[in-house]
Amino acid sequence: MSHVKLSAEIDRYAYTNALSKSSPTTKLFLALSLLLLSVMSPSPIVPISIFLTSTVLLLSFAKIPCRFYLRLLWYPIIIVAVTCVIIAFFFGYQEPFTEVNLLGLKWTVFKDGITLGFTTFFRVLGALSSQFFLVLTTPMTSIILILRKARVPKVLIETSLLIYRYIFVFSEVMETMHIAQDLRLGYSGWLKKLRSMSMLIGNLFIRTLEQGERTFTAMNARGYDGNIRVLEDQPKPSKTALAAITLFTVALAIAAYLTMNIRIV
Amino acid sequence: MLFRLEHLSHCYSDGTLALNDVTLDFAKGERIALLGTNGSGKTTLLHHLNGILKPTSGRVYFEDEPLKYDSKSLLDLRRKVGFVFQDPNDQLFAPTVKQDVAFGPLNLGQPVEQVKRVADEALRTVGMAEYAEKPPHFLSLGQKKRVALAGVLAMQPQVLIMDEPTSNLDPRATSEILHLLLRLNKEYKITLILATHDVDMVPLFAKKLYILSKGKLVSEGSPEELFANAELIRSVSLRSPRIAHLFEVLKKEDNLPINPRFPLTISEARKEILRLLGYRNENEEKETSNR
Repeated sequence: MSHVKLSAEIDRYAYTNALSKSSPTTKLFLALSLLLLSVMSPSPIVPISIFLTSTVLLLSFAKIPCRFYLRLLWYPIIIVAVTCVIIAFFFGYQEPFTEVNLLGLKWTVFKDGITLGFTTFFRVLGALSSQFFLVLTTPMTSIILILRKARVPKVLIETSLLIYRYIFVFSEVMETMHIAQDLRLGYSGWLKKLRSMSMLIGNLFIRTLEQGERTFTAMNARGYDGNIRVLEDQPKPSKTALAAITLFTVALAIAAYLTMNIRIV
Repeated sequence: MLFRLEHLSHCYSDGTLALNDVTLDFAKGERIALLGTNGSGKTTLLHHLNGILKPTSGRVYFEDEPLKYDSKSLLDLRRKVGFVFQDPNDQLFAPTVKQDVAFGPLNLGQPVEQVKRVADEALRTVGMAEYAEKPPHFLSLGQKKRVALAGVLAMQPQVLIMDEPTSNLDPRATSEILHLLLRLNKEYKITLILATHDVDMVPLFAKKLYILSKGKLVSEGSPEELFANAELIRSVSLRSPRIAHLFEVLKKEDNLPINPRFPLTISEARKEILRLLGYRNENEEKETSNR
């Protein structure tokens, strides 16, 4: 269950990194502007600079270990790289660049296809790194509280508060049950695996119902009346930081416009 | 009387009679322990004290008024009677420690500044202030229990009810919780009512002991009185504290002239041993009184 561990680790960094105390609004604003710019930029130059910016912010300001960052980037990079090679081969129609023989067929690779593949690769990379910046520096709690300020419906806010808390409770329960089944050879063979898995899911479902009941009782005991009241206790965004981010964003947008017609080959 | 239960019975919807005609009084400022095996009805009884459960028959009085179960009266009751659940995962639902502690005071409608102050203070009292911004899943069980306690203390209750406050804790966390509870009782005059089956812990904590078995109140009195009656303790599938047991054996098997009220704690045992050895010089007396 490495995916559970990986997300738990991301969560841990979100609370322990060197930027965790800075204003979540600022970080969210930065991450979203970089994301938008990255996916909308017509040239690869801007996404590359976004990728570098986020990486520097993460490694030298938030002090996220380089190894962990690379581990996060590794799988998406492989997938995106493969996709972009395919784009480079199949998209494009102006100016043939070269021809390759593949599966007994002749494929013409066009110059604009290569540019498109290259640009797409860095767009995705820029978008990914800006979002990693957000999730690795900003605790989930803060994000939920910002959504609350942004007037997202209360039902969504309250359920995400509870879901966030109990995901960790239940992933622990699930792991324990999984180990208990495994120790009694519940996963030795395809059919047994299927049966154990379905029992685990069914059991987990019942456990969540029971937990819900108990949590509700405990909340009632502390005066719950149907509204989850949350303490607003967040660092305020600094105006300078917000202005700096706005300027940076505008500069990048201009750069994107100026380098619109750049060609790789 | 702080609490008075009159012929209290509770029958769950599956037909289990969890409490059977229990009548008792809890006095203000007292340190009370409910002792009984698993399934003896301790938790069910506690759940009646702040209106989580309604009696099937009988009555619950708080400060000589019968409990009312409309939401306003319940809110009023729960402000005064705090409840700490056995499994802190049931209670800690908020994404950070401080958010969780603030939940109760916010529900009481206190202004934000005051809530922050009260929450910080409660976290300091239980020694968890440095974890305020952490999510509960970073904490150990002992720490979670303390945060759960802080969440209730932040509502500034007069009565604190705890269900198995030391279950599953390591020795150190157990003694930390116990000392914390004793301090709360002494400094803030909070009445403590706790359910447990940890017989070694009871004499360290309780002034008044109630023994439940199969939903019935079997006996009540001071721990010294009740544990002196070994027959009674065994008949409800409990045992005496280890120390009392040792002295019981020394008396029965080795015919040592031991006081029939067996010592229950280390300090009592020390006194009794010194007495048996005829070891009572001035220095020893002084040292004992200093502790």
